[in-house]
Amino acid sequence: MSEDHPKRRSDISARVVADETVVLDLGAAQIHQLNATASFIWNRCDGHNTAGEIAEKLADSFDVDSETACQAVQTALRRFDELRLLDSARE
Amino acid sequence: MRCAESTTYGLVTAAYGEMQDDASTIDLDYSVGQNGADAAFYITRPGQKALKASDNGTFLALFDKDIAIELQKLRRDLFFVHAAVLTRGEAVMLVAKPGGGKSTLTWALLHHGFGFLSDELAPVDLGTLEVHPYPRTLALKREPPGSYPLPRRTVTTSRSLHVRNVPGSVVKAPTPLGAVVFLNYDPDATAPKIRRLTPAEAGARLYANALNPLAHAGSGLDGAVRITAAQPCYELVSTDLPATCALLARTLEPSE
Repeated sequence: MSEDHPKRRSDISARVVADETVVLDLGAAQIHQLNATASFIWNRCDGHNTAGEIAEKLADSFDVDSETACQAVQTALRRFDELRLLDSARE
Repeated sequence: MRCAESTTYGLVTAAYGEMQDDASTIDLDYSVGQNGADAAFYITRPGQKALKASDNGTFLALFDKDIAIELQKLRRDLFFVHAAVLTRGEAVMLVAKPGGGKSTLTWALLHHGFGFLSDELAPVDLGTLEVHPYPRTLALKREPPGSYPLPRRTVTTSRSLHVRNVPGSVVKAPTPLGAVVFLNYDPDATAPKIRRLTPAEAGARLYANALNPLAHAGSGLDGAVRITAAQPCYELVSTDLPATCALLARTLEPSE
């Protein structure tokens, strides 16, 4: 698992509603809906947690095995990156 | 609104007759009419450049656009959504892409006990979650299917059909919002389908149809989420109109 410290872009607005998240990227004129798992991962993209740490927390909270959690985090981070929702100049 | 001659007066009355009121308070001061050798239509307001249209459909389209923008400036407190609104006790917001069958379904639902609040604009009070009326005449882009024929007094322009005297009641008071329905017309579907949306999915969809989100807190995201978190939201795949109306009516029935 990557030792990267993913971080949400600071100019993006997000609101949590019923365990899901609505993410507004005004700069790109795009709005996204994150399901509960993606929301969990998104909320931990704070520049401190590594991808591996996020996966551990996901495994604990959602009662899934480590491999499933790692795959979910990798998939979500890849998608966040594709959508340019994360800071590109992170550690 | 001042109108100099009968052709333009007839058009404006056909489209906005339900909104006629006494002129004791003037918020917007329009003059409209036709002039010149080509009888072009004009729309003027004090201090504004005149808008001109070569035909009646373009004239009403320009007027619709102008008044929608001016209303958003006048009532910045309201969250404007591009949507039709029907009533069935509470307000039912119908959201669709342009050309997505919103007005046609609205016309059909008016034959099934729904009342009419708006065909185009849904101004929502985010404090009370009431939808304000905007009873501009229902405007269809084309003739609806034969099961819902248009009345004789329908006014036809180069762009649309304006239906006066709708079968349901025209509601002219703010009405509490009861449901939001995102419409997706699929002519190839064999039957209409409806599914409940999560507040987040509905919030994202609603935001995409908001007209003045940046006038509100959190760039409008708070407003969109407040609306969709407070009542049921659905995606309706519409096809055959009577079946679609029946499905929506059943879905919106109050549970025992």
